Amino acid sequence: MRYVVGRVGQAALVLLAAFTLSFVLLQALPGDALLIKFENPELGLSAAQIAEIRQAYGADVPLVQQYLDSLGGFLRGDLGYSVQYGTPVATLLADALPSTATLAVASFALAVVLAVGIAALSYLAPFAWLRGLLRSVPSLFAAVPVFWLAIVLVQVFSFRLGLVPVIAPSPVQALILPVLALAVPIAAPLAQVIVRSIDDVSLQPFVVVATAKGAGPRWLLVRTIARNAVLPSLTIAGVLLGELIGGAVVTETVFGRAGIGRITEQAVSQQDIPVLQGVVLLAATTFVVVNLVVDLLYPVLDPRTKQKVGLAA
Amino acid sequence: MSPASRRVPSRRQALTVVALISSAGMLAACGGAQQGAAAADAPAGEPVTGGELVYLEYQPHTNLYPPQAGFYPNGGLVNNITDRLTYQNPETLEIEPWVATDWEVNDDATEYTFNLRDGVTFSDGTPLDAEAVAKNFDTYGLGDAELGLTVSEAINNYAGSEVVDEDTVTFRFDAPAPGFLQATSTINSGLVSPDTLDRSLEEFGAGSSTEIVGSGPFVVADEEIGTRIRLEAREDYDWAPPSLEHQGRAYLDAIEIVVTPEDSVRIGSLTSGQADYVRYVQAYDEEQVTAAGIDLYAPQTRGVNNGLALRPTNPLLSDVRVRQALLHGVDAQEVVDTVYTENYPVATSQLSSSALGYKDESEGIAHDPELSEQLLDEAGWVPGADGIREKDGERLSLDVYASNAQPLSKPNLELVSQQLARIGFELNVKTADTATITEASRDPLGSPLYHSMVGRADHDVIKSQFHSENRDVLVSEDKELDALLEAVASEPDPEKRDAASGAVQDYLTEQALYIPLFEEPQVYGAAPHVQGVGFESVGRPAFYDTWLNR
Repeated sequence: MRYVVGRVGQAALVLLAAFTLSFVLLQALPGDALLIKFENPELGLSAAQIAEIRQAYGADVPLVQQYLDSLGGFLRGDLGYSVQYGTPVATLLADALPSTATLAVASFALAVVLAVGIAALSYLAPFAWLRGLLRSVPSLFAAVPVFWLAIVLVQVFSFRLGLVPVIAPSPVQALILPVLALAVPIAAPLAQVIVRSIDDVSLQPFVVVATAKGAGPRWLLVRTIARNAVLPSLTIAGVLLGELIGGAVVTETVFGRAGIGRITEQAVSQQDIPVLQGVVLLAATTFVVVNLVVDLLYPVLDPRTKQKVGLAA
Repeated sequence: MSPASRRVPSRRQALTVVALISSAGMLAACGGAQQGAAAADAPAGEPVTGGELVYLEYQPHTNLYPPQAGFYPNGGLVNNITDRLTYQNPETLEIEPWVATDWEVNDDATEYTFNLRDGVTFSDGTPLDAEAVAKNFDTYGLGDAELGLTVSEAINNYAGSEVVDEDTVTFRFDAPAPGFLQATSTINSGLVSPDTLDRSLEEFGAGSSTEIVGSGPFVVADEEIGTRIRLEAREDYDWAPPSLEHQGRAYLDAIEIVVTPEDSVRIGSLTSGQADYVRYVQAYDEEQVTAAGIDLYAPQTRGVNNGLALRPTNPLLSDVRVRQALLHGVDAQEVVDTVYTENYPVATSQLSSSALGYKDESEGIAHDPELSEQLLDEAGWVPGADGIREKDGERLSLDVYASNAQPLSKPNLELVSQQLARIGFELNVKTADTATITEASRDPLGSPLYHSMVGRADHDVIKSQFHSENRDVLVSEDKELDALLEAVASEPDPEKRDAASGAVQDYLTEQALYIPLFEEPQVYGAAPHVQGVGFESVGRPAFYDTWLNR
């Protein structure tokens, strides 16, 4: 129990640090979202008019005050307004989150299936050359840019073959191609780690013993190796979250999906600081929560890690 | 017709290859492409009421406050959900009645009185009367700093309004405002309900579009922020501009606007029949689109041409001979032939040839690299070891940012850079995000050249672009230029206004302050079954007359 409380406390500290750091970094960016918005030549405003607007927006409050205000807002769930759209950041994120979450979860699930499939086949396949070939698949997957893959999938499956519409698709249709595009690059490192773990575990003495007793590769994989290969794969799964978020930016833009990725891309190009800060906090929160869950799962999966987990994390 | 060496931005190379592979068959079959402003065939039969149009936008809209409708996705919506006091005929550019049945202007254009049509209502049922019109223009003419509502760029010298009676309203100006009549016809003056004007700028933003109430033929029925917006026809709409043949409700039941930022997806959706209509067909995609039997529309934006502003406050550009050398060193014809298509006519002045007040400057801005070299020699710039000229140890080298708002700005500027290198001038083309560019663009040292354009079908457009109190693309401290521009904005007599506009163009040419490149269109693609495609005077789509012939 003490372990759980400690880990949760740690997570909260990480979040506060993320908030402070993102605030400092974003405020330090050269540029000023208000200025950028109202200096947009499409509005044709004069310098005097812009100065008047800045005053009306209270843009000249001291930085410490701004920090405390936005920290207070963050704790209440108020993330301010998007400079570009004028929409509350919380609304923007809440609207976009379910779509991105669905995409991320589905892609991750497919990536796990792909990775496990490749790893298992590369261990069980009948010929050495075939096993070798399968082992090189993850490298190939890792080399495919999400952007390129997404475009190819759309061109082939939607425009050429007409199998899945990209404009006005049903919710399920809307997921098929983006999930494929995003799962492939996620599957790559996952498969590599699993293959590597299988290799490591299969050299362990107990596997050698089991083999000597006449266990076949399939029995071995399922009964002994798989269990032992789960932990390293779980660790990398936490890290892959970052990859998922990055991939979502590209995938959502290509497929025109509403989502956190799209919002981030637009916010970066417009230096929409409140939105960026919201996205950073959302990402940090997700990251912290996923890693917390992984850490809390460790002792459940492997009793040996119970004592030393505080250090290992 | 097909440019032999099309330049493609490098970051798009991967996707272009894909597009080429998948459409190799289509490209091989490419024949005479149908292009030009009026590409549509004659309407097939009588208009049909009903149906939904799927329209792919390039970018999401940001805000529906009409003075901020200059951004194309905003304007495309505002144009269809609001009416205006007057209607500018997109062919003749004449100002015709719309919500105003007639009007009177005093001799020095400081007082305008409009009589309003009866029975016009906003979509929430409130009447569009003199009170409502007065409130609209008070907001657009004066702004509301507390609500964050900005002053409309189209309205100059506004003093105030007076409601004479229920259907008569008078506007007064501190100084002559001859551009005001045209301003009442632009989307920046779209009329919204009095309640709508009580909203803050944030409350006009994305996510609240369904609450923005206009009196136009369509209303915003549904919105998913950043991805989708649905317009539905207003059944009781009965106040189209009287000069239109079509009266009553719009033909289409609904327009489904889907934001599709990726070019290849937008074009592929159109050619594969998943969408009916798209905005922003890139020049390098035009062949593929026409080859697939899609109609291209390239309405002109009729304002200040796409071009490069030269900022004289940068020390290297302070010498008029250097600026003239640059002006004559650029070959706009080659730019258009290489990077663009025939929908992008080569500029013959700072203003588009279809703009009001246009004056032919083609002689003064002609490509003449020999003259350029001579001018640079005279100014004391001599070629250095690598061909770039030097003077007192300083290289003739300047930076320019590729503009994210201008079509194919980067390949365009890279070609210009090659042309200028031939006369010994180094132009470094830089890229950055929109925010960085906006930030840097105000500084003549960081952005000595600035790539832009502006569309508005009125004489005032040239003032918008160049005056030190407006867009000020020159970052100007030039009192003489400001005075010339103010004359354009305040000359009530139409002929003298033409002359004043001509004087500005002459001055810009003589002083070599702007390198005009081409007359910028907005390029749209529409499936052949889309009939009655229309645009307001600077190329925003107007769906009132559009119908589907499936």
